[in-house]
Amino acid sequence: MIPILFGITLLTFCLFNVFGGDPALRFAGRHATPEVIETLRAELGLNRSLPEQYLFFVKQIVTFDYGRSWATKQTIATMIGDGVGASLCLTIPVEIFSIFFCIGLALLAVYYRARFFDKATMVVCLGLLSISSLVYIIVMQYLLAYKFGIFPISGWDPDWIARWQFLLLPWLILFILNLGPSILIYRSVITDELFQDYVRTARAKGVRQDKVFTKHILKNALIPIITVIVIELPFVITGTFLVEHFFSIPGLGGLLIKAFQDSDFPVIKAMTVIVSILYMGLNLVADILYAAVDPRVKLS
Amino acid sequence: MKLSKLIFSLLAMTFVFSSCTKRTDENDNGIYIPVKAAIKGFDPIHSSDIYSATVISQVYEGLMRYHYLKRPYEVVPSLAETMPVISGKGLTYTFKIRKGIKFHDDPAFPGGKGRDLVAGDFVYSFRRLADPSTLNDGFWIIDGKIKGLNEWLDLLKNKKADYSTPIEGLQAPDDNTLVIKLNQPYYQLNYVLTLPYTYAVAHETVEKYGNEYLNHPVGTGPFMFDSWVRNSKIVLKRFPGYHEETYPSEGGPGDKESGMLADAGKKIPFADKLIFVEMPEDAPRWQNFMKGNFDFGELPPDNYDAMILDKKVRPENAAKGMKLSITSGDEYTYVSMNMKDPILGKNKDLRHALSLAHNSQGVADKFQNGHAIPAQSMLPPDISGYDPAYVNPYQKLDIEQAKKLLAKAGYPGGKGLPELTFETLSDSKNRQQAEYFQQNMAAIGVKVVINSNTWPQFQDKIKNMKAQIFGIAWTADYPDGQDFLQLFYSKNISPGPNDSNFSNPEFDKLYEKALLLPPGSERDQLYHKMRDIVVEETPQIFELHRQFYVIRHGWLDNFKFSYMILDYPKYMRVDAKKRAELKAKL
Repeated sequence: MIPILFGITLLTFCLFNVFGGDPALRFAGRHATPEVIETLRAELGLNRSLPEQYLFFVKQIVTFDYGRSWATKQTIATMIGDGVGASLCLTIPVEIFSIFFCIGLALLAVYYRARFFDKATMVVCLGLLSISSLVYIIVMQYLLAYKFGIFPISGWDPDWIARWQFLLLPWLILFILNLGPSILIYRSVITDELFQDYVRTARAKGVRQDKVFTKHILKNALIPIITVIVIELPFVITGTFLVEHFFSIPGLGGLLIKAFQDSDFPVIKAMTVIVSILYMGLNLVADILYAAVDPRVKLS
Repeated sequence: MKLSKLIFSLLAMTFVFSSCTKRTDENDNGIYIPVKAAIKGFDPIHSSDIYSATVISQVYEGLMRYHYLKRPYEVVPSLAETMPVISGKGLTYTFKIRKGIKFHDDPAFPGGKGRDLVAGDFVYSFRRLADPSTLNDGFWIIDGKIKGLNEWLDLLKNKKADYSTPIEGLQAPDDNTLVIKLNQPYYQLNYVLTLPYTYAVAHETVEKYGNEYLNHPVGTGPFMFDSWVRNSKIVLKRFPGYHEETYPSEGGPGDKESGMLADAGKKIPFADKLIFVEMPEDAPRWQNFMKGNFDFGELPPDNYDAMILDKKVRPENAAKGMKLSITSGDEYTYVSMNMKDPILGKNKDLRHALSLAHNSQGVADKFQNGHAIPAQSMLPPDISGYDPAYVNPYQKLDIEQAKKLLAKAGYPGGKGLPELTFETLSDSKNRQQAEYFQQNMAAIGVKVVINSNTWPQFQDKIKNMKAQIFGIAWTADYPDGQDFLQLFYSKNISPGPNDSNFSNPEFDKLYEKALLLPPGSERDQLYHKMRDIVVEETPQIFELHRQFYVIRHGWLDNFKFSYMILDYPKYMRVDAKKRAELKAKL
């Protein structure tokens, strides 16, 4: 993990130093003068050598002190701390619910493979997939919130209990957005298992069809399913920026969008490194889960 | 509980909630204000964006402010008792500070009670603005202007001075007197003193909170901090110790007839709280306005036809009490041509040809719903030096004349002219506008390639003089033509605001002369001469003065909106009972 992390930090540092522009120009604003820009460069430490600047960046990563945002002047730790709760509130319930729902539906689709239920599920999933997420957001917000008044149009409440009212419609949209890709992937993974020798053997032994699915096929399909879920998890934490943006949910997705819009590189750098570390950590968790699910997999 | 029951219960609760939200408190006279971008913080020296500056302007105050109703804009005293006494050939400004002005209560003060404002607070605030360690972008307003300030700054950088080191041009001889001594006349000073950068802060609060001061606002303004959910909502509540301040008794033409003077002489603010709600996306922000969750809102382009007919609110919306205000943006948009560029910089006929081939009215119609007037020069309406009768000979679509000038420039039909590069931002609107420019130029045979950039790349190219042609806008810092003419002063070339890198000795001479003149017809004449030089040289293609359509609900009174006047909420009044009645019908 250490060499990968080193590579990530080096790549991130090089990318932002090449494409990031001169931050002193940003601070100096539209009335900049060469003298003010020079003074700001000194204040920002940009007149130090690149290795020195890189070491400072590594120090920030190690100490989890990413400094302050160029755009807001807030500490990045505070900004991320503020956003992470909102993002998790938005995505975790949907993610958990849709994992179980989609696996269940995929199992049923495979169970009734090539029959009406399976075909209908496929058609609906492909239909859901072929529409842009922006369309779901705009149409559902307009109809369900603005026109019919079933949900609040947008908003947020700092109170953890009171905020659910503002989350219902975003949850519903995210759930629908999850359905298409998840069911299709899970169905494909489960179908692959359907033709394995152990399934044929179990059936030959007279094991009931439902038991074959729940005890054998599902268990073996869990490894690729865990992989898919783990790949998705960092995005769960960074939130789903379009939903956050339209529903004014102050999560990490919105934070990233604003950072990109403002070219707020300290925030982008911090988020890149955090998501990368998260990704590596979750891959480790996935490896441990593989071993738990399948005794043939051994951790060495 | 079964899943179906759970879903049913949640939906039922949602229905109950949504019906509750429609009921509005008849005693709530708070003003609900939509904000298009995230508020960054509450520190006045970091107020370069309009959204943060607006919120800051409710909590803090400065020596001067703009009269709420009068146009053209008129500066009036705010925390100063009267307008400054100017002496010593216009070089010394003496301000008497109003007595009995209190800072908001805060633990930084002894006993937690806000103390009286003193002249020394302004001295401290100005020093802070000059201090480079604060990384602010407002120093330009006093850079080189105040006697001894830049010298103090040099000593500060070398750690040979601190905030207690005296500065000749910034003195507080007693608690109620502030003396500012200038290096040379600075007739924009009164305007500059309305800007949030110069608002009074108390040193105790800055020292207590340090870098976190931006999250702990303590000012003397009509509203004090209540809560802030970052990237979501800010609530300010009325400051009970706010000094005596009344609604203006005089207004501009038509203000009396439109009821804008109905509250003349009454104590302000009227609202008990202000609620700023951050909503970056147009659609939900407008839907919330239409449901009455905001008291006013800028009309997004996509909703124009549904709301407006013949520059009036459509009858069905007018019946719901909605009213329209058309607000000048105090700005101009332009296509800048780099005068350091070997092709453009030395060929005036070529620049004239490009200007005559560009359809500014088309830009207004296609990209602004017609909410703009073609800019004849850099000086917008309501800004000193603006001449409504002036017509720019190169600001019209005249393809035939453009072709003739292109031939005269040495490129008949565009032959022999290398491709010109138009730098733009990568978002769709900017890209479309660049493509429109490209089409306009193609009509006379000029080939333009478009280069999309991120904001830092765009900024770097401009500031390093590497951009050949680019589209951009300039919004007034203050309503003086000088703020726009500085874009052509040779000492301001990139990285300064003169981003077309225009240099003309005659212009410079007039600019420097105008700086030493007080507002008046003599100065206006110089402004016109400078405008004529720029028009003749055409380093920029003047495009538009944009206008903004703002809709308000019928329950909001005293609404005279302007992007220049940031302390507007204290004058506005919500009829809470009327809001409850009208909102129920939306």
